[in-house]
Amino acid sequence: MSNTAEVVVIGGGIIGCSISYYLAKKGVSVICLEGSDHFGNGGSSRNGGGVRQSGRDPRELPLVMYGIKNFWPTLSDELEVDCEYHQDGNLRLGKTDKHKQILTGLTERAVKVGLDVKMIDGDEVRRINPYLSDEVTCASWCPTDGHANPLTTTLGYYKMARRLGVHFISGEEVIELKKVKGKLRKVVCASGDVYEGETVVLAAGYESRAIAATVGIDIPMQKAMLEALVTEAQPHMFDQMLGTAEADFYGHQTKHGSFVFGGSSGLEGYTKDNGTPICYSKTAPCICRGIMKYFPDLANAKIVRTWAGWMDRCADGVPVLGNVSEVPGLVLACGFSGHGFGIAPGASQQLAELITTGKTDVDLSALRYDRFKAKI
Amino acid sequence: MKRYDLIIVGAGPSGLSAAVEAAKRGLNVVVFDENEKPGGQLFKQIHKFFGSKEHRAKVRGFVIGQQLLDEADKAGVNVVLNATVIGLYQDKEVVVKIGDEIHHYKGDAVIIATGAAENMVTFPGWTLPGVIGAGAAQTMMNLHGVLPGKKVLMLGSGNVGLVVSFQLIQCGCEVVALVDAAPRVGGYGVHAAKVARTGVPFYLSHTIVKAEGDTEVTGVTIAEVDSNFRFIPGTEKHFDVDTICLAVGLSPMSQLLKMAGCKMEDNPKRGGQVPICDEYGRTSLPGVFVAGDVSGIEEASSAMIEGRMAGITAAEYLGYIEEKEMDDSLKELDKALDGLRQGMFAPKNRGKAIETTEEGIPISQNLLKKGYVADDEIERFPGVTHRPGVHPVMECTQNIPCNPCQDACPKGCISIGSNITSLPIVVDNSQCINCGMCVASCSGQAIFLVDEDCGDGTATVTIPYEFLPLPEAGTKGAGLGRNGKKICDAEVVSVKSSKAYDKTNLLTMRVPKEYAMKARFFKAE
Amino acid sequence: MNSVNDRTRDIGPFVPGPDDDMLICRCEEVTKGEIRKAVHDGMWTITEIRRYLRTGMGLCQGQTCSKLVKGIVARELGVSPAELEPATSRVPMRPIEMHVFANEAKEDEANE
Repeated sequence: MSNTAEVVVIGGGIIGCSISYYLAKKGVSVICLEGSDHFGNGGSSRNGGGVRQSGRDPRELPLVMYGIKNFWPTLSDELEVDCEYHQDGNLRLGKTDKHKQILTGLTERAVKVGLDVKMIDGDEVRRINPYLSDEVTCASWCPTDGHANPLTTTLGYYKMARRLGVHFISGEEVIELKKVKGKLRKVVCASGDVYEGETVVLAAGYESRAIAATVGIDIPMQKAMLEALVTEAQPHMFDQMLGTAEADFYGHQTKHGSFVFGGSSGLEGYTKDNGTPICYSKTAPCICRGIMKYFPDLANAKIVRTWAGWMDRCADGVPVLGNVSEVPGLVLACGFSGHGFGIAPGASQQLAELITTGKTDVDLSALRYDRFKAKI
Repeated sequence: MKRYDLIIVGAGPSGLSAAVEAAKRGLNVVVFDENEKPGGQLFKQIHKFFGSKEHRAKVRGFVIGQQLLDEADKAGVNVVLNATVIGLYQDKEVVVKIGDEIHHYKGDAVIIATGAAENMVTFPGWTLPGVIGAGAAQTMMNLHGVLPGKKVLMLGSGNVGLVVSFQLIQCGCEVVALVDAAPRVGGYGVHAAKVARTGVPFYLSHTIVKAEGDTEVTGVTIAEVDSNFRFIPGTEKHFDVDTICLAVGLSPMSQLLKMAGCKMEDNPKRGGQVPICDEYGRTSLPGVFVAGDVSGIEEASSAMIEGRMAGITAAEYLGYIEEKEMDDSLKELDKALDGLRQGMFAPKNRGKAIETTEEGIPISQNLLKKGYVADDEIERFPGVTHRPGVHPVMECTQNIPCNPCQDACPKGCISIGSNITSLPIVVDNSQCINCGMCVASCSGQAIFLVDEDCGDGTATVTIPYEFLPLPEAGTKGAGLGRNGKKICDAEVVSVKSSKAYDKTNLLTMRVPKEYAMKARFFKAE
Repeated sequence: MNSVNDRTRDIGPFVPGPDDDMLICRCEEVTKGEIRKAVHDGMWTITEIRRYLRTGMGLCQGQTCSKLVKGIVARELGVSPAELEPATSRVPMRPIEMHVFANEAKEDEANE
């Protein structure tokens, strides 16, 4: 197999796999390198499955709205896999005045960008989802939000891209980028293998930072560990995506019947690991207590698994996308800050457009690498 | 957070042994086990164990379990039952579910002794109710007093398949066939022989084609396989059964170690995914040790020694003993473990086809292919001799580490010598007094007392007999050959039971004298 | 370092088998044929198979099927089962009710 392609994609998560897919669909030759042994091994297979517009920063909102309008509804057919996409709305729940304030602020900002989202009271919340406890007094409600299965979606992109001829290689950890005559060209791996491309897409999550540093680019992001859990299958209860004002948990019921909930203990950002994302013993109990306050009916559901994953948290909480003028040939697609799943189809398809035509339907300028400035 | 010197996960043979050794050396030890009873698999083991005295040979497994519990109690070990360890986190934090609470504990050292779980094989119908693991059958019978079925087919001729088949028969089940895809019996020949002589047919190089039945097992079809394990058309055989028992090996339950970040390897010789560890159970994580099946499938006797090793090593790790003391203790245990790992079935010989015994005698091919030694093969083994009057006939034909028979005879008639795996011989000029201790002490039930010529055209044969109801003297029936087929008429002369026999009854039957060296089981008619 | 695994290696075409409808993962009801097809769709590791099909994600956590799945995937790829890394083990070792998991004992002396 050739080590040269028009585009080399670094990172085999949902971003890398879907960019590879959309490029291959346009007839572009692609090599996609995954550092771990498995495609979709990072946040792509560890997240809560939200396909959500509400609660997002206005700078990235148009991109996710674009994806929900154009790609998500037909994605299962396109990828020939059940992505389990549900567009049944998102409830972001609140219990206190402070929560209401947070939610109202988020809602007002989103409405300005054209999103159909509104504040509702506790009774209306329970009309939408009768399983919620009386403690819930308000929520933001976005009917066009939803959720999907991150595992089948990510691996579905991988499968279809592979079918279209993308050259996928796992266990190929990239350690260095190299310019040739002023333009990024070479991708060097720990194995000693070297790949070459006209364009190099960097979609390796937090690892992107170290890789970009080899061509003098620093992306201001940190690694933070998040945790999630899943219950055994339960009778069908509801189809909405859920979150809370204070983000103490988020999640949904899957097609399989299990509930997937992500959450936090408050120690995120200060946790340690042993080289793999390993759960903290205090987190799952904390998530369980959080869930039970909102859903008393789930108290007897059995937790089958807990897991952890790292997110690449950008300084301003939104991804870094697009060309980097200092390094011609480099395209960044990282820093999704823990909410990269729902936005992936839109972001990746638009980056594929950018690479092939130099233009995009959605304005990506607010997400460029050169946006970071000091505060004063 | 509550902290212990040593937290042990699993109160089976290795976990309890580790706890005893550590507690004796002053460590504050707690053992968690998810079951309502301690002992792991020991309390299901109603057969006598192999080995020598130091391995508690000829003692039944459940008795060893009780002995271990008593030792643990005496040493001050805290065994917490119904306590499910749900996770091993960083910094040796053990999270345990007890009742409707979870508890966080930390150990300065942790020993994982979680044992193993049964493997499954697939065939059409394998998910039907009635297809069960052999270990499950054993649990039902020996712990809960529930009969797993009435007519059973056993798949797997390793020691588990053989021992559980025998126990099924003891419980009153009919074992219609013992089947294995391998061309040779995998377990001890003596275990096979005691099953075969009750009349169970062995089908080696056979496996299950399908389990039959709509809502539960009503039958099974097996067929012969070629050397590539492909079915040979036309060799199908059907059996009406309500239960299919699978004894196709065990896999280490090493998940806690993997989740904690231990370096693991996939080692088929050890039964699957195991932690990388040294001979005393030290893993790649400082202070985390392993013992027993979780680090490689063997059996309870070696698990107990491994447990003791890990307990002592943990004691040294935490400074409760000096390195020298540890080394001395470990040296002893090395010897004991080495003793168990000798002979034809030693881990190092796994997968090898051994053709002759250490004495240079050809192994019985019938034993490997049909489960019993043929009449024309038995004479070549040193335990089988002919002399006037009652004398022991030891049908022990493979080198296994076991020697209780040599100590059992008060008259010194039996000798194995210093090499524990040697075949027993009858000592020249020794005088058998027909006490039966050798018959009862043989864990393989391979010793018979025979008087080849009583002077009236008959012979007497005394066999170990562990079935109920016990026949009474005078009961008439059939003398069965080693293959379980009727070869002659037989009459029970006596049935002796005694505390010293430890529940192995000695049934003496009278048979025509030409069957003295052939009749090896009695069946009332 | 992880081992380089080029997913374009030719493993031959998917050939339907007579026992493709046999259940392998009982908890999640995944058949042998589904597992074999997934390999041909590029799922070459036990972890990918598990995420794609849910094998071993049920109540028994793969205790029953993990060796079986491994054997099927290895055969399809033409490699030894020992070359395939088993899926990660996850807390809790046994399924546990949410209200129990949530109920952390106070600094406890109960089992002293």
